[in-house]
Amino acid sequence: MSILTDLRIAAAGDLHLGEDARGSYRERLKGIEERADVLMLAGDLTRHGTLEEGRVVADELRDLPVPAVTVLGNHDYHSDLQHEIAAVLRDAGVIVLDDDGVVIQCGDSKLGVVGGKGFGGGFAGKCASEFGEREIKDFVGHTRQIADAWRVALKEMQVDRRVVLSHYSPVKETLEGEPLEIYPFLGSYLLAEAVDTAGAELILHGHAHKGSEKGLTPGGIRVRNVALPVLGRAYAVYCLNGG
Amino acid sequence: MEAPQYVAARVQQALAEDTRTHELGIHVDVRGDQMFLRGKVSGAEQRERLGAVAHEAAPGLRMHNEIKIVDYGEPGEDEHLD
Ligand SMILES: [Fe+2]
Ligand SMILES: [Fe+2]
Repeated sequence: MSILTDLRIAAAGDLHLGEDARGSYRERLKGIEERADVLMLAGDLTRHGTLEEGRVVADELRDLPVPAVTVLGNHDYHSDLQHEIAAVLRDAGVIVLDDDGVVIQCGDSKLGVVGGKGFGGGFAGKCASEFGEREIKDFVGHTRQIADAWRVALKEMQVDRRVVLSHYSPVKETLEGEPLEIYPFLGSYLLAEAVDTAGAELILHGHAHKGSEKGLTPGGIRVRNVALPVLGRAYAVYCLNGG
Repeated sequence: MEAPQYVAARVQQALAEDTRTHELGIHVDVRGDQMFLRGKVSGAEQRERLGAVAHEAAPGLRMHNEIKIVDYGEPGEDEHLD
């Protein structure tokens, strides 16, 4: 096994930048190259998912001194312009994951990042299942397809370390603070199950603005809710220690 | 008279669906003729917009806009995962 160096991941989610927010987040990213090797964003970059807001986000993230990886969130889908928003972000040099993965060379180690928006359904024992009406089957089936895609992408990667980036939560611990009644709309255990099966060192998500930062999957993988209202700071930095 | 829970639900729905706000995390309480808004947003403009939309959705109520503005200025402390 190769000796890994420490890897510092800056992470945030739910920036919800409107058109009036131009320049505001960029300012907070000043000096990020001193603190982190890579920036990961957990979706809900915009407020209404308009192309104008997508352009604001792209400008905030353009030509950062560290690689930036993002997924989109439900707000970024609101205007049915998710593909267009992803395209303007990619034009600005941001890596946008859509149920696939990317390999980033960080120092002498290869970091694999897999993820996408994710989806809801609830948590083991208290969740929806693929049964009954077409609408319910579609809802759960959507999450299941996403989880399958992540598991395959994680397994196929030839990398030194793996991190998963999502908008929806894979576990309920990081939802603590949200009303129990809406848990099924905040995430799904199927996401955690897929990652536990395939293996990763860390899962980052957003979406649950009133949730809590820290949790664990049933398999013991660290989960962090990096929604800005949860973090209360510009971004978190997680250091994966070298081996 | 409309039950306070339904009024609160209607206001919350308005805050989520109105194109000026699209804010999902705001807590709305109605007590008698008063309405309380709680939650966190990143700017004063958004707080004002939320207040305006809530007022339009329930104009007869006296509104208390207790939404907090949080400034996400600094990155804060690193966490080592080992
Ligand atoms: Fe959000
Ligand atoms: Fe969200």
